[in-house]
Amino acid sequence: MGELIPAIWQKYGYVYIQGAWGTVYIALLTVFFGTILGTLLSFLRLSRVRPLQWIVQVYIWILRGTPTLLQIYFFYFYLPRYLPFEMSERACIITALVVNASAYVEEVIRAGIQAVDRGQTEAARSLGMTARHTMTRIVLPQAFKNILPALGNEFIVMIKQASLASIFFIVELTSAFKTVQSATFITIPALIISGAIYLALTTVLSALMKLVEKRLQSND
Amino acid sequence: MIDRTKELIKVTDLRKSFGKLEVLRGISQNIFVGDVVSIIGPSGSGKSTFLRCLNLLEVPDSGSIVFDGQEITGRKNARSIDATRQKIGMVFQHFNVFPHLKVIDNITLAPMLEKHVDRAAAEEQAAELLRRVGLLDKRNEYPTRLSGGQKQRLAIVRALAMEPEVILFDEPTSALDPEMVKEVLDVISDLARSGMTILIVTHEMGFAKRVSDTVLFIDEGQILESGTPEEVFEEPKTERCRAFLNQVLY
Repeated sequence: MGELIPAIWQKYGYVYIQGAWGTVYIALLTVFFGTILGTLLSFLRLSRVRPLQWIVQVYIWILRGTPTLLQIYFFYFYLPRYLPFEMSERACIITALVVNASAYVEEVIRAGIQAVDRGQTEAARSLGMTARHTMTRIVLPQAFKNILPALGNEFIVMIKQASLASIFFIVELTSAFKTVQSATFITIPALIISGAIYLALTTVLSALMKLVEKRLQSND
Repeated sequence: MIDRTKELIKVTDLRKSFGKLEVLRGISQNIFVGDVVSIIGPSGSGKSTFLRCLNLLEVPDSGSIVFDGQEITGRKNARSIDATRQKIGMVFQHFNVFPHLKVIDNITLAPMLEKHVDRAAAEEQAAELLRRVGLLDKRNEYPTRLSGGQKQRLAIVRALAMEPEVILFDEPTSALDPEMVKEVLDVISDLARSGMTILIVTHEMGFAKRVSDTVLFIDEGQILESGTPEEVFEEPKTERCRAFLNQVLY
């Protein structure tokens, strides 16, 4: 069986490489926009405006309480219908993944901010620092160190969740496996190649996150 | 010159509850410029809450606080609280130094941000303050490298850098190892001698006796005794104060 892997790679390597790019593309967009949206949501949640808090809470309640696949179906079927402009299937799916990711990112960031000792805020405010300066100069820099490791885990989840796009025949790593498998009727070796590329991607990401964490920790 | 007849803080009938628990039950007290006021009493008596109300870290339910002739309590005064807090320094039990900033930046951050002091002037002032408390050689360290006593001395000069008119000390030595208590109390004594107005919640009775002009004994949210150290420590008028002193003085 093992000897089939180089043979498959030789013939269908390009399918996997295309698939890997697809996964990286989807994951990068999900990470980028999911993090921005999640950060904004955490600020709304931590604001003193009650209705905003409630809206974010309901948003998170729904997105964390239903399967990601179901959410993708929802965006896949409904987004094109109600948007005034054309949207590709891939864009619909990425939107669903971004919205889903934002709920988890919000939780990570909010928890990271709330984990900063209250005494830090009190000390800053007692010096006469404004609420805004206290947040940007005292709380957020410290929260960032709490947030980063957990955020790295979410990024890895996002890479793996991109595989859900294969159900909609979007080019990425899991659909690359399906393509090769249906062309060759060879299953396990085709699967192993996809798995190995996933592992390579997540390993590189983990190493990058470790590096950034170390950089940040070197000054305390 | 210090005008010791000038009223700096005037507290009238301060009340505060946490849920059903009434922590402050009508506290009134005037504090004059240059006063050193020690606040003693059993734990849970409301001492710290009283102190934290003075810069509105706790918002009182009712009563008024007039600082430097201006009322700071009440909704319409909430806007100017940041400016008022610049004039009221505070030092905490757990130091609350900023761990992500170097020692010098701990001191210069607030003056630069809120009083728009330029960096050179702020750093010069910070260096002078650090020299005063023997920490000048630590200026470029991060606070994690400091002992508890050093952290608290840093916290004190961080407050001083805003050039406040009064400093509130909330049990500044309670979290310290015994051998570090003195170095912090020495700094506070120096400050008291220099004419700074000080309110200090403390369990260091010997210190309270030595440096205070006024000692307040608070129990169950009320000031039960108020007088000179001699009056409060030697001839307490209330049974509860006598009992408390018997408990804490060996």
